[in-house]
Amino acid sequence: MTFTLAVHSSKGGTGKTSIAVNLAAAYAQDGKNVCLLDVDIRGPSLCSIFKPETQFWVNDLLSGKRGINDTIHDVSDEFGTEGKLFVGYSNPDINEIREIARKDRNWQSAALKNLISGKKELANKNIDIIIFDTSPGVEYESINAVAASDLVLIVHNSSAACDNCTDQLIQGIYSPLNKQCAIVDNMYHQNVLETPDEKKFGIDVVARIPCMCNVATRNREILTLTEPEHVFSKSIYTAKDKIDRSYR
Amino acid sequence: MSENELLEEILKNLQAINTKLDRIVGKKESFSEPEKEDITDSLDIMTLLSLPDHLRTTATTLFEIGPATAEEVSKVTFKERAVESNYLNQLVRMEHVEKYREGRKVYFRIREK
Ligand SMILES: Nc1ncnc2c1ncn2[C@@H]1O[C@H](COP(=O)(O)OP(=O)(O)O)[C@@H](O)[C@H]1O
Ligand SMILES: [Mg+2]
Repeated sequence: MTFTLAVHSSKGGTGKTSIAVNLAAAYAQDGKNVCLLDVDIRGPSLCSIFKPETQFWVNDLLSGKRGINDTIHDVSDEFGTEGKLFVGYSNPDINEIREIARKDRNWQSAALKNLISGKKELANKNIDIIIFDTSPGVEYESINAVAASDLVLIVHNSSAACDNCTDQLIQGIYSPLNKQCAIVDNMYHQNVLETPDEKKFGIDVVARIPCMCNVATRNREILTLTEPEHVFSKSIYTAKDKIDRSYR
Repeated sequence: MSENELLEEILKNLQAINTKLDRIVGKKESFSEPEKEDITDSLDIMTLLSLPDHLRTTATTLFEIGPATAEEVSKVTFKERAVESNYLNQLVRMEHVEKYREGRKVYFRIREK
């Protein structure tokens, strides 16, 4: 069975892209066939990490102009992963981003259908894991991705604002859509006097990743591949194992 | 009459009413004018989120599995066929879902614009 994760958060800059990329690589390194899709159409990121030569984008998948096969690219050889790693990019051209921003509800309704068909095609291609990297908050593309997923991986930072908004997303989006959820508590500031909770908002915390400058300075690398022993990488592998044990 | 029997009786009557309603909605559709102007939007995720619980589950299932009969939807949601048929027809009346016939079967799908 293909398992689909949407990496989402209430606020920007919580580490969604870093976690989506590294988790995808961790699964591929573990021999799984993985497809990572950038559905952060309004703030594309994967194109700056993978430097793609592509003609077609996730934008074209959502608008129904192209099928999933034209949209995704095999990067397994380049990164030497055990299993296949495919990536679908969203178009960084500002004109394209503006174009998407003006789409209406009818377009978004069709986009959800196209995303779900794409997902079904990936299942037929023997993809084990699909990971959506999303925009923060209540953007259409993100909520469509949440709707199309089996598990929402909430990347959370502990700040008052993020706490409130995450709770709202759980109550107003994830629960009404009956989604399973797991939390990654990222950029965690360790306090030796505190025992970290196993749960937040009643949801399991599958990883707690400290704030580490070299995660930020080395963000052009995929640490789970280049340095699996790094604390960040180890946390991602732990999260992966917990997800496999509790949700798949 | 025991309480259980009474409930069963009510359920039976409700199912009979449902079947009749289904037929009426079906008929009305086949008579509706094809050039009728299309003013409503198709069902998007934000609108879906504002639906009441029971209809939201039905609509989500229809998105997931594509065009389907009430029977097929009910297998996914673990509800009675008659119950799903009722919900699907409510969604048809709200113009979020469209209903069409193929052979002897009635199919439902998310309305397209
Ligand atoms: N645990 C961490 N410690 C320090 N910096 C991090 C950590 N996780 C992510 N970052 C950095 O934070 C910035 C934002 O991360 P990113 O993954 O782009 O977030 P998002 O996709 O949610 O906007 C990046 O520079 C990234 O390298
Ligand atoms: Mg991002």
